[in-house]
Amino acid sequence: MEEIKSKIIERIKANFSDAKNKSYPGDRIDFSVNKETIPSILFYLKDEMGFKHLSHITCVDWLEENEFEVIFIIWSPLEKLKVFVRTRLDRDNPVMDNIDVIWRQAHTYEREMREMFGIQFNGLEAPQDFLLEDWEGMPPMRRDFDTEGYAAETFFERPGREDAKDVREILTERSGEIVPDFAKKYSR
Amino acid sequence: MREKATTLYLGPQHPGITGNMMVRLKVEGDTIVKATTEVGYLHRAFEKLAEKRNWLQTFTILCRFCVPEPDPVEESYARAVELLEGREVPERAKYIRVLVLELARLSSFMLWYGGQGGSLGLYTLGQWTVGDRNYILDLFEELTGGRVYHMYIWPGGVRRDLPEGFADKVLKTMDYFEKRLVDYNSLLFDNAIFQKRAKGVGIVDKNKALEWGAVGPVLRGCGIHSDIRIDDPYEVYDKLNFVVPTAEGGDIWARALVRQEEMRQSISIIRQVIEKMPSGDYYNKIPNPQKWTIPKGDAYARTEAIRGEIGFYVASDGSNKPRRAHMRGAAYVHAVTLLEDVLKGENIADVSAIMNSLGTCPPEIER
Repeated sequence: MEEIKSKIIERIKANFSDAKNKSYPGDRIDFSVNKETIPSILFYLKDEMGFKHLSHITCVDWLEENEFEVIFIIWSPLEKLKVFVRTRLDRDNPVMDNIDVIWRQAHTYEREMREMFGIQFNGLEAPQDFLLEDWEGMPPMRRDFDTEGYAAETFFERPGREDAKDVREILTERSGEIVPDFAKKYSR
Repeated sequence: MREKATTLYLGPQHPGITGNMMVRLKVEGDTIVKATTEVGYLHRAFEKLAEKRNWLQTFTILCRFCVPEPDPVEESYARAVELLEGREVPERAKYIRVLVLELARLSSFMLWYGGQGGSLGLYTLGQWTVGDRNYILDLFEELTGGRVYHMYIWPGGVRRDLPEGFADKVLKTMDYFEKRLVDYNSLLFDNAIFQKRAKGVGIVDKNKALEWGAVGPVLRGCGIHSDIRIDDPYEVYDKLNFVVPTAEGGDIWARALVRQEEMRQSISIIRQVIEKMPSGDYYNKIPNPQKWTIPKGDAYARTEAIRGEIGFYVASDGSNKPRRAHMRGAAYVHAVTLLEDVLKGENIADVSAIMNSLGTCPPEIER
């Protein structure tokens, strides 16, 4: 396996000068490239090297570095190897090329990433809404999205539940039942 | 004369699938001209919640992605975390995991029988299989404490050892299922209605299946030999003997044939696992979960569920919380790209049968 892996790494490095490789044990090969190279390297891996199956596309928000990382995980049924192709996007202006001509199913992933992270894909033709409806403001999967603030704004307490009283206390008050001592210590 | 096209909304609640999802159909008469998958009824932001909790707390919500089959999700998350941390798993735990995964596979095949039968009007089959599924849920209850969600396969191994006498109970249940399987199959495959409505309906083109990332029974129903348990073996699947069935045609019938044979193989795997199960430790203890940090990096682990490939991508920034936990479900591809294409030219009445056959699971799409 190691031999095939090193052959693949050599071929990719010869063809794509910006491809940086990080070595991993097992069946994993890892390349990081510039975002402009993404369509051509994926096309090359698929058509020339047999990595036919797109397993996953994912995005990680590295807020501290002000960058998004988009990762494509592809699998070769022939060589039984998986390749991670990763690229970094500027968080202030996240734009990259769409690849749904290479793999049709990438279309769904791209729609979700556009909605959840705000990444724009050049040439992606799809309705804006996918999972969310009429969403305005910051895309919710970004790290700096204020989840707690959103919840406080959107949801409200049911009338009569504001005091957050222990249910058992309310029930005892209503029914006049005497709570045994051992049960009291579990009350809030 | 060309008929005028009408728009028909199928869903969000209908019997073809587990969960809520809508398919917008453009129909001319009874024939579908265009289908569009509309999701958004089931988004629970699990992946966002995961970022706010530690690695173990995350696990308790991540296993709730898919209702009919939660165990492969648990397993792929646990394995991705182990891969990232470099944690060893005891041999016995691996065997127990395979046992649980195969039991889960059987139980969700039972639900599939119910759904596939129910979507074509054969309700008896669902009554039988869902009733019999309880015997597996009983086993799960004894082993894990839960019937549907188990939270049993966790990072480092499994949560408990097998109870005393559990193996015998499993074997007895398997003997029962082997007999019952004959009944199920004669009820489904010998039925004239099923034969007429399954053959030649919902055909997935072989090349498209390969190109568009179809996995599991959908791919195997096109005659392509592909199974992660064989291609990219995990746990102890490489030490077990089993056959991956394929069928030609790519229609509902072919996928049903694949699935019924897979059930037989699962029973055989469970018997082998119990026979070969080594003694020893079942859990490589993790440190205090609040202080359990995972080195910076990322990993991807994938598992074969009944609908096909389920994978988990996890990324860590070196803290005690995941930076990102992202699941890949088989339905993410099947129920959107593939379904929209397959439905073209089909009859309205066959939509739910096709959806069921493709393994549509909306919770996997929305998460």
